[in-house]
Amino acid sequence: MTDMVRSEAGLGAAAGTNGSRSRSVLGARIVFLLAFLVAWQGAVALGLANPAFIATPVGVARSLLHLIVGGKLLPNLATTLLEILLSFVASVIFGVASAIVLDRSEWLNRTLSPFLTAFNSMPRIALGPLFILWFGIGIMSKAVLAFSLGYFIILLSTLGGLKNVDRDLLLMSRLFGASQARLFWHVRLPWALPGVFAGLRLSLIYCSAGAVIGEMIAAQSGLGLLVQSYSGRFDVAGVMALILVVAVMVMALTSLMDLCERRLLAWSKGSTDVPG
Amino acid sequence: MTSEATVGTPGWTVEAPDIRVRGVRVHFGTSRHVLTGVDLDVASGEFIALIGASGCGKTTLLNVIAGLVPAAEGTVMIRDRPPAAGRSDICYILARDALLPWRTVLSNVAYGMELSGVGRAERERRARVYLERVGLRDVADFFPSRLSQGMRQRASLARAFAVERSLYLMDEPFSALDSQTKLLLHDQLLSLWESSHATVVFVTHDIGEAITLSDRVLVMSRRGAGVVEQIHVDLPRPRSAEALQADERYHDLYRLAWTALRASTA
Ligand SMILES: Nc1ncnc2c1ncn2[C@@H]1O[C@H](COP(=O)(O)OP(=O)(O)OP(=O)(O)O)[C@@H](O)[C@H]1O
Ligand SMILES: [Mg+2]
Repeated sequence: MTDMVRSEAGLGAAAGTNGSRSRSVLGARIVFLLAFLVAWQGAVALGLANPAFIATPVGVARSLLHLIVGGKLLPNLATTLLEILLSFVASVIFGVASAIVLDRSEWLNRTLSPFLTAFNSMPRIALGPLFILWFGIGIMSKAVLAFSLGYFIILLSTLGGLKNVDRDLLLMSRLFGASQARLFWHVRLPWALPGVFAGLRLSLIYCSAGAVIGEMIAAQSGLGLLVQSYSGRFDVAGVMALILVVAVMVMALTSLMDLCERRLLAWSKGSTDVPG
Repeated sequence: MTSEATVGTPGWTVEAPDIRVRGVRVHFGTSRHVLTGVDLDVASGEFIALIGASGCGKTTLLNVIAGLVPAAEGTVMIRDRPPAAGRSDICYILARDALLPWRTVLSNVAYGMELSGVGRAERERRARVYLERVGLRDVADFFPSRLSQGMRQRASLARAFAVERSLYLMDEPFSALDSQTKLLLHDQLLSLWESSHATVVFVTHDIGEAITLSDRVLVMSRRGAGVVEQIHVDLPRPRSAEALQADERYHDLYRLAWTALRASTA
């Protein structure tokens, strides 16, 4: 955070306008959210919408409070969070590693690419019940389902970044005497990093979806299990409260990643800005 | 200084040259040859400029000397050793500045030294010295995206000369710059070169640039048959690019080179 503040301050005159612009954006967001909530609550109050189908903001807030106070939220949240982190970390490690291998070996890339495309084209969610069958009803099956979604995203985005490295940068480094290992650390990897980060964000969202949906199929604990049981009771407000929790959790994880990205990719910040 | 400029004949040789190219032929694929028997000698500490029509094989010849493209026939010797990419006595400056966008200017200048195994403290010290010499001290901590084209090219020069090698190959490093900026960079390049005692082969399309910088201007034939004409630039050193613009001798040489280039492309 401080890094960004410093680099923005470094832009001198632009810093002032940037600061006030971000403040006005924040204001606009709050206004937008309030308008949405008021319209929602108002539509129900005026009889324009049926609260049995869409609940109300107040009802959702009440359900949320109930979840927290009743002690249901934390243990289930912990399960889901664990599954997400497990699958996400595995996706990153294996995704980046396989991308590096496939980038270095054109032969392997050519051989495996139809299989990868085939597996990536499968609706993995539909395989959910099979994963439960193979990996049990516990955390593992959800982590594997989520991993099967998140892995390919990281693999493809990293591979894309590695494949289009600027040839002049490689040649220049080579001419200064860089070894293959140094070409990788000093040129290929930093070049691919923006692509990797784009993949990370998307992969996190898919891992979360995979985990929650896996829990909805069959689980002993987790937010997805709660969603499943609440929708069985047509408790719309409860389902929405849970979805809200998932969304906030994913957003929190994403902003953590944004923080890393801002540190690592300070050099590319704003480089795609085009005037006019 | 009163004599007419010497227009040498092809095959001119020097004693114990730094670079010796003999009968080099290069082809890409099986079709026609890009270079058909090139001879070239460059003396140690000499600055030569290579001019010629677009597509006549100047870049290819530099690539052969740098060891990036193998010669199908003929021999190339650089200080009695065959060329090889990444040799620690050769520095090749590409037309594009090729600065790493994720490194600051200072760190970019240090990069060449880092790859050559110079220690951290010495890298930092030398990078600052060379940045100062190309007038980029104030932007040392900027990322390259915030530099103008001319500044980027200066950073690239600083990176190259900071490794302090004995042979520099340059392929149109200033072709993207306006003439005013070029003059400034010519002076900076000359000052870097004069203190380095390095041998330089400089490819360019700009006749004025060739004369300003070099000891000899070599004109390549359009058909890749090698050097067909050479002009000895007997302008005294140290030179100032700006002052040369008003120099009679400079303009004589310019006309001479122009005629030679015209003849080579006819
Ligand atoms: N990798 C390659 N594959 C096939 N042909 C090539 C390759 N590189 C160069 N050539 C051909 O070799 C010839 C000489 O190219 P080269 O780049 O050496 O010319 P040049 O004198 O540097 O031209 P310019 O002044 O425009 O840079 C051209 O006709 C070009 O088409
Ligand atoms: Mg060229």
